[in-house]
Parts: sequence; structure tokens; C-alpha cells
Amino acid sequence: MDKLREAYVGEYASGKSEIAINRALELHRQGRKVRLVDLDLVEPFYTLRPIKKELEDKGLEVIAWNTGEIIGLGETGTLLKPEMKWALKYGGDVILDIGYGVKGVKVINLLEGLEDERPLKVYAVINVARPMTSTVEEIVEYISTLGKVDGLINNSHLGEETDEEIINEGAYIVTKAAEKLNTPVIATTVAREFAHLVGDKDCMGNPVKILELHMKKAFW
Amino acid sequence: MAEKNLEPIIKERRVFITGNEAVAWAGVAARADIMYGYPITPQNEIMHYWTRLAPKYGKGFLQTEDEISAGFATVGGVLAGKRAFTATSGPGNILMQDSMSMAEMMRIPTVMIITQRGGPSTATVIYSQQETTLTCFGGNGEGIRIVYSTASHQELFDYTIKAFNTAWKYRFPTFVLGDGYQSKMRESLTIYDPVERGIELVPAEPFLGKGGVAGLDRPPVHLRNTYNMEDELYEVVRELVDAYNAVAHEIVEYREMETEDAEILIVAHGIVSRAAEGAVARLRKDGYKVGSFRPITLRPFPAEQLRKCADRAEKMLVVESAEGQLKKLVTDAIYGSTTPIETLFRPGESITVEEIISAVKGL
Repeated sequence: MDKLREAYVGEYASGKSEIAINRALELHRQGRKVRLVDLDLVEPFYTLRPIKKELEDKGLEVIAWNTGEIIGLGETGTLLKPEMKWALKYGGDVILDIGYGVKGVKVINLLEGLEDERPLKVYAVINVARPMTSTVEEIVEYISTLGKVDGLINNSHLGEETDEEIINEGAYIVTKAAEKLNTPVIATTVAREFAHLVGDKDCMGNPVKILELHMKKAFW
Repeated sequence: MAEKNLEPIIKERRVFITGNEAVAWAGVAARADIMYGYPITPQNEIMHYWTRLAPKYGKGFLQTEDEISAGFATVGGVLAGKRAFTATSGPGNILMQDSMSMAEMMRIPTVMIITQRGGPSTATVIYSQQETTLTCFGGNGEGIRIVYSTASHQELFDYTIKAFNTAWKYRFPTFVLGDGYQSKMRESLTIYDPVERGIELVPAEPFLGKGGVAGLDRPPVHLRNTYNMEDELYEVVRELVDAYNAVAHEIVEYREMETEDAEILIVAHGIVSRAAEGAVARLRKDGYKVGSFRPITLRPFPAEQLRKCADRAEKMLVVESAEGQLKKLVTDAIYGSTTPIETLFRPGESITVEEIISAVKGL
């Protein structure tokens, strides 16, 4: 079976980590060996660190600092943990959770093994309720700053106020942007709480994936 | 104000963003011209998003060499007639107090956003309410300034817009006091264009470089922050304090919840007031006669309004993520009241609804 290598990128607070975690757990449930890597060196808040142990207990191999180990907080960025550099050298699936924006994506260049025969797929997470990625034009402009992107994920929501309208609006706008970018829409993601609002496919025919939310506990 | 400033620039809609982004968008909505800043967590994304928005909306940004410079550059921007603002946290807030003191002395309408982090010193980059005293009284003066303490992303947006109006209307330095939680949390809010909502934006104007001949065509501009004589200074400070006190009642804002028949009155500000209001709602369901009072302006402080609630209550509980900084404001405001005050102090740490409920039940 082919081993997967996937990186989740996108705007600040777009849902990258939540989707990376859910993807890693989905693969783990299929009986695959999965390594989840916290490559968010940009932001000290809402990383995988606070929930590292919880995710390890679920059977994932997690490469992340423990919150108490890190130094140089915030504006100084976070150090790359040596194991992170070699994270792609692994016999199982590797899921990378990347820090936000253009600077965040550059971390990928620090990894060894990018030229491996197994390509690294880069997926961009989009929430159209975020004002800088709320239109087709804005998304196209934003994605073009990120470099290689292999697909879009529609994670449009309004937190606790999420409704069918925002999910559908997101599906429509993200699909139109994906057409312009000539890249696929991988999925529409919806939190478990709102699963009843959607079926197996969104209004544009993209597959729907239900998210279990873990990041609420990951503030620090 | 230039005509272009009145054209709608933000489409009103619900969005899901962090508090720092809400502040940057509010700056755009308030027609701020320029931000001066220096990076410090948890403030960084105010700068970061402002620099992304600035080119789109024709705004300026200058990263200075430190916070001392950012504060004074903000004063300079305002003197030149710009709606200028800055944002900082913790040690940066300390470094900006010199310039904000100057703004108090010369009545310069600066706007400054504070995202409180842990203290003293560098401490944590996370959260606290330990910059309350500093933000209210940080200068070597009398605290002649306005401080709004926000509790949500919507309020960060609303009060950042309001701060520009308050500053330019009253000509006192104005602060929006948030914290690391509000900066980094994600929640939904409505962003809007204040002009489209009919909110009048108080125009900015240059203090320096006005046209005409001073003394002939217009009164001379004479901005001073240094004086030779004690009595000279005394007169100036007296005037400043009197001017501030004269308008304080127009500026004061507060929020009461279930205070009418409250036997126990919880007092909290900022994000902790959300926990306090959550506790009141749950305790009321259990039959406790409890209410909450939240000062929204910490300077000027809603003293009379709190006093009325305090006198009706049998006990007060002051709750804050600091070791008594809000309590000092409270005791000063209600001096002479015989209502006993209990406290729940958690310097640099969060306070939950459950913790407040258990503190109330333990009274």
C-alpha cells in the first residue's frame, strides 16, 4: 500500500491543525501507521503541543515539542525540533500541520526527503468566513502566494453559529476558486455538531468529511 | 475629513477570525491612516494583518526600532494630523508609557491597543489582567486617559473604532485593553463600516504645520511638555485634570447583570466578566441572588454606578486575573461603603465559570 505524505496549509485560524489531526486519525482507524508532525513554527498558540499526549494515546506517533520544553516564544518563532527535519523519513503515513501563511509554508523547505519518490501533497484549508479568503478572487490570490498546492479543502464555518448557508456558500466559492486554480476540492469539512446539516456530498458534489474537534483544548 | 474617507470600505458580514485580526479590521473601518509598531506576542497579528490590509486600503505602516520609538512615532503621526495608532503588550506597554504621558500632557489623541500578557517582566506571552494599573495610570502623571476594557471579538472591533472617535473628540490618549485570550481566540463577530451604520467619525486634523500666520490668521500652536516653575506646572495639571473630570460622565461605560436584588455582587472586567456573567446565569437558576457589575471604562471608572450596586448588596466578590489591580479601582470608587469585599485573584491565569460559582458558594 502506498504511504501517504500530506501537508495542511492555509490562513491563520482556518482549521489546518483540526483537519490534520482528523486526517491522521482517519488513516489510523484504517489500520495504517501514522505520524503527525507539528510544523507550526510561526504561532505559539493553538498548536498540537498541548494535546500531544492525548493524540499519542489515540495511537498516533506525534512529533511536537511539549509546551514546557520550548523557548523563544511568539515573535521569535519556535525552534525546529531535530526529529521534525527528518519527519518524512518514515515507513508509514506522514501528516504535516504547517504554520499559517507564506512564512509558515516555507518550513517545508527545511525537511529532508522531499525528493523521495512519494510526493508530498499540499492541501490548503479555506474558510470563506475569514475576510481575506471570502471570495473567489481572494482565494486565488492567496493560494498563488503559497507555491505548490495540490488541492483545496472547504472548511467554511462560523464556529458555534455555523449553519447550512455558510457551508454551502463555502462549497460554492471554494469550488469556483479551485476551478480557476485548476486544482481539485478534496473535501468539505464539517464539525460533528453540524453533521446533520450535510450529507455525503456538499451542494457542489464534493465529498463531506465530519470533524471531531480537538483544538479547543489546545490554546496553550 | 477627506471625502474618500466616507466611502464604504467594508461589507457588513459575519466573520470568524481572531481578536488581533478584528482589531486590524477595525483600524481599517475607523479610517486609521497609519500604524506604528514593534513586534511582541500576543500582539503580533494586529501588525501582521494591518500590513496585509494597509496596501489594499492605502494605509501606512512603520515598524520602528523598539516600543519607545513606536509610541513617540504614534504621537508624531497624530501631530501631523494622522489617525495613528499602535499596539503592544507587557514590557512594550511599559516602554510606551513615556510617550503616552507626553500625549496626556499635550492632549494628543493617540490610540493604543493593549493585549495583556503575563507579568512581571517578560513572564509569559499568554494572558493576564496584570496591565490594568499600568494602562490606567502608567505615566508619571495623573492617568489623564481613557481606557476601554473589552470582553469579546465584537467589542474589540466596536471599541477600537470608538477609541479613535473618543480620542479625537476629547483629545485624551485612548486605550483598548484586551488580553492574550481575546487576541488569539477564534469567534464570530460582525464587521461593518461605521459610516454605513451612521456612526459619525470625528475628523482628524494636524496640530502642526497649519496654514496661515500664527497669531494673525489663527491662534499660535503651543505644545509643551516641559515647564520651568512648580506653580506653572500645577496650573497646567489642574486644567488637565479639570478638563478630564468635566467630561468623564460622558465617557463612562459599564454593564450590569441581575444587580437589582443581588445579595452578592460579582465585579469583574474584560474577559473575566464573561465568566462572571456565565456564573450569574447558572447561579440564578439555582436560586442564588447574585448579580454582576462590569466596568467597561476603567478610566474614567463608573464609580457612582458601582457604588449604587455595592450599597444594595450584602457582599461583593472582586474577580480578576491579577493580584488586586481591579480591586484597587473598586475600593477607591466605593470608599466609605460598608459592604464587605471578598476576592478571587488569579494573577496571570484564567478564571472559569465553575471557579466563580464555587467561590460564590463558599462566601
